[in-house]
Amino acid sequence: MNRMVGETYWQRVIFFYIPLFMFLVMLLFPFYWMIQASIKPDRELYNAAMSPFYFRSATFDHFRYLFENTQFLLWMVNTFVIALASTALSVTCGVLAGYSLSRLRYPGSTMLGVSIFVTYLVPPTLLFIPLSRLVNEAGLMDTRWSLVLTYPTILIPFSTWLLMGYFRTIPKELEECARIDGATRWQAFIKVILPLATPGILSAGLFSFTLSWNEFLYALVFISSPENKTVTVGVVSELMIADIYYWGSLMAGALLGSIPIAIIYSFFVEYYVAGLTGGAVKG
Amino acid sequence: MKDDAVKGKPVTEKKGITRREVVKTAGVAGVAAATGVGLFGGTPPAFAQKRTIHYLMDSYFISGAKDVHLAINEEYKKQTGVEVKMEFINQNDLNTRLTAAVEAGAGPDMTVLKWNMPHLFAGGLANHDALLADIDASGYYGFMHDATMVDGVYRALPAYMTPNAWVYRTDIFKELGISPFPETMEDYLSAGKMLKENGTPVGFTLGHTLGDAPANCYTWLWAFGGREVDENQKVMIDSAETRAALEFFREFWNDACDPGGLSYDDGSNNRAMLAGRIAVTCNAASIYYFATRNPDKVPEGLGDNLHHAPLPAGPNGSYGTNQPLSEGIFEHSKQKDVCMEYLKFFRTGDNFEKWFVAMGGQAVGPSPVWEDHPFWETQPALGSIPKMGGYGRSFGYSGPYDRKASEVQAKYIIIDLLALVARGDSADDTIKWAETELKQIYEG
Amino acid sequence: MATSADGILESSNERAGAVGSRPQRSLPALFEKEWVLGYALILPAVIIILGFKAQPFLTGIWLALTDKVVGKPASFVGLDNFTRQLNSPIFLEAVGNTFLYTAVAVGLKSVLGMWLALLLHRKFFLSRAVRASVLLPFIVPTALGALAWLWMFDASYSVFNWAFNWFWNLEISLFGFILKPDFAGMVYIPWLGDGFWAKVSIITVNVWRGLPFFAIMFLAGLQTVPQDLYDAGDIDGVNRWQRFWHITLPSIKPIVVVVLVFSIVLTFADFELVYILTRGGPYNSTHLLGTYAFQLSMGSGNLGEGAAVALYMLPVLAALIVWQLVYLRREDKNE
Repeated sequence: MNRMVGETYWQRVIFFYIPLFMFLVMLLFPFYWMIQASIKPDRELYNAAMSPFYFRSATFDHFRYLFENTQFLLWMVNTFVIALASTALSVTCGVLAGYSLSRLRYPGSTMLGVSIFVTYLVPPTLLFIPLSRLVNEAGLMDTRWSLVLTYPTILIPFSTWLLMGYFRTIPKELEECARIDGATRWQAFIKVILPLATPGILSAGLFSFTLSWNEFLYALVFISSPENKTVTVGVVSELMIADIYYWGSLMAGALLGSIPIAIIYSFFVEYYVAGLTGGAVKG
Repeated sequence: MKDDAVKGKPVTEKKGITRREVVKTAGVAGVAAATGVGLFGGTPPAFAQKRTIHYLMDSYFISGAKDVHLAINEEYKKQTGVEVKMEFINQNDLNTRLTAAVEAGAGPDMTVLKWNMPHLFAGGLANHDALLADIDASGYYGFMHDATMVDGVYRALPAYMTPNAWVYRTDIFKELGISPFPETMEDYLSAGKMLKENGTPVGFTLGHTLGDAPANCYTWLWAFGGREVDENQKVMIDSAETRAALEFFREFWNDACDPGGLSYDDGSNNRAMLAGRIAVTCNAASIYYFATRNPDKVPEGLGDNLHHAPLPAGPNGSYGTNQPLSEGIFEHSKQKDVCMEYLKFFRTGDNFEKWFVAMGGQAVGPSPVWEDHPFWETQPALGSIPKMGGYGRSFGYSGPYDRKASEVQAKYIIIDLLALVARGDSADDTIKWAETELKQIYEG
Repeated sequence: MATSADGILESSNERAGAVGSRPQRSLPALFEKEWVLGYALILPAVIIILGFKAQPFLTGIWLALTDKVVGKPASFVGLDNFTRQLNSPIFLEAVGNTFLYTAVAVGLKSVLGMWLALLLHRKFFLSRAVRASVLLPFIVPTALGALAWLWMFDASYSVFNWAFNWFWNLEISLFGFILKPDFAGMVYIPWLGDGFWAKVSIITVNVWRGLPFFAIMFLAGLQTVPQDLYDAGDIDGVNRWQRFWHITLPSIKPIVVVVLVFSIVLTFADFELVYILTRGGPYNSTHLLGTYAFQLSMGSGNLGEGAAVALYMLPVLAALIVWQLVYLRREDKNE
């Protein structure tokens, strides 16, 4: 779908470039905002009379504060390790369960599916108090394991769900052909369905990673030592102080907290597109 | 809280902590802790060397006081080998953390508690009676005791308070010929009109906030004689006094206040003040502290032009809000005795005093003695702040400041009472709305 | 799991021909039974969810039936926590807000998300960079992204108000003709300080945050639409709209359903964003069931009542999920 048939240059501008540009402005403006807040000196930042769009001088004080007065780097490492581990766990479970629910028929499958999803519906605000008791009884309080093991409760239903939809878009005939050629069910799943589902798995992985990276409530409640905290909780705890906020450093923290994932995404989005051009799905 | 304390005459005979007594008790405790005797019941001191207590606290924005606190911890470690591990979090998350800690029976050993939190979390806090006997808190303000004593048992150690006052721009007030700061509501209204015409209105916090909005709204209601309940927690909101308060507020809001006030969070009024957009707002000493310590970050000379005053008197007088803070040790902590020794150590010698001075007016002492501390003379701009303990009331007045009063606060009912009137609703409808909610809390 | 699976594969390869003709006791043969494989694959997910979610969930339901307050033992009160909510104006307002918030936010996200996905589906200069950067709002931690918006909506520092004022007071003229006069005066929009505008604001932030998720999921779906369907359409001479409505949309319907249901669930139970921006204010005009439940549980320790309010969300969401499951199964049978 590289071009629209019979599209003129002006149609392309009106129907394509202008809307795309508007979307980009709407989605990215807050980031421009964060950048300028994070490098503007406080004197200009807090001057309401000055145009908020430009600045006379730039400073790295806000970033310096982040690194010198907080354990920001350590938080980043924690967040990364926790997000990676919980994503791996969740996507593995999600792929298996998603395939099971979307392609296999067995007694009670609907019930199982519904119950997985229904627990997903329970708002975390209801769960986190009883869950903190459980985490404590398991001896996981104030450890990174507490998050690695509890995030999958949010991520598995999500991954399962996503992948169920994805498995569904893969023609059933492909699997049936493989079976006729003598493959076992398991082989057909591993060798035929899984490779085709790569984009879906990748999205599930990326989104799970993002959700764990951004999670706030469990990280706030289960982790108490400053050296075990995650980026979001660390930044909010140590920079939103009483009724004076450190805006510059807060925004600096928000930016640095998103850049690593943005890099991962920019790498995988290409893979994501490339993985789809194989054409098997379209065949 | 009884009425006689409100009038500014706290019912205390003994004048708070005397320095010598504190030194005596804590000195003994310090020696005991240092040798490990009495604390660990004969365990070798080597064991004591490794001990750590975990202290949860909302973040210091006053860095000087944080430094003093950490220095005291360092000194304590030197003397006893016990390390005090501080965990600083955002004040809005404190309740969440405490709820989880109490329900899970795990987490920090001790915590800072705001307002009546000792009542809310009593089920998970240790008995502090022995500690209070050692510290001698008999001279503390009555509300300090009320906040920490639950069913006859102290669940926390009263520490200090952070009162709100009306911080205003002396330069703008002088320019408009408003001097001194209005003392009656009528004067406040006419001053407010001039301020608003000047483009620097009153910043009245009506958002859903933890600190400033309740401080604004409850005191306004009280100044006109309104109250949510009587002494027996019978709902009293539907009264002529409440109506008067709301009608007057409607005029005040429309003619004198920054319409953005409906969106203020606890930090917005600070920002508006520091930006020079408003000329007066109700806040703790933090605006003044920030402006004087960071002259390079605020409009020129702002720090020299701030002063603090109490709320102008309404038909029923002028009140502040008590905002007592206390320190509590969790029942689940395995080191309750160490925590208690640490709390005593904090009040040993001039430790507490050094810290109090470093707080720069954000902290007001727990007893009336501190109102006369020499520190206040160095900070004349803090105006009424040191005396605010004398005429504060607790939230939930005139009932006890218990969980139900907290529920009213958590549902922001008194704040929305004023906010709905600011929106333009009739006083009758608003009062009816509030009464329905209040009745459900207190009588349902 | 993976290593043992490889072993199974190898051994089953050797007798692949035998499968189906002769009953086997080994694992690969057992996996040939649809129900065995079905249960085996769903087991890991069930174990984790049962282990860490079932008990807290049941505890949550139990809490809602008690007068539990923090730190005190609970006693059973039946449905009292549920019925008393029905008399509370704040609760009823939160219910209304939640439905409105979900409907408007999800509606906007799906329409705009589909539009954006169709744009991103085309090849153009820098298309990869654009696809990656569009995801930024979804990547930035919600709590921190919401703080940036809080600053943009601030009563004193709102950049929007600054920009509107600048434009309002700007005179634009061309060769001496005044195209836009300087409307003297102030423009002031109380972004978070007015019932209507506060709703607009929180919905804006929700859409900003959720749009990339919709767009990228729809984009993934678009990639699976077979090109020959479009080629056939081109031969029939369909226009842009028909092409979308009759070819694209039906092809990606399963993904659309999944994304919609997922987003409705998340938006309906949203809490963090509103908690940071307004905490339900002003005058409860932005209170959602999620924020109200949280406020009850945390603000005054009424865990039982808070749980009841949170559970009010469940039937609506559960109906949605069941509908989705039934839908997916039915589609399956139609194939």
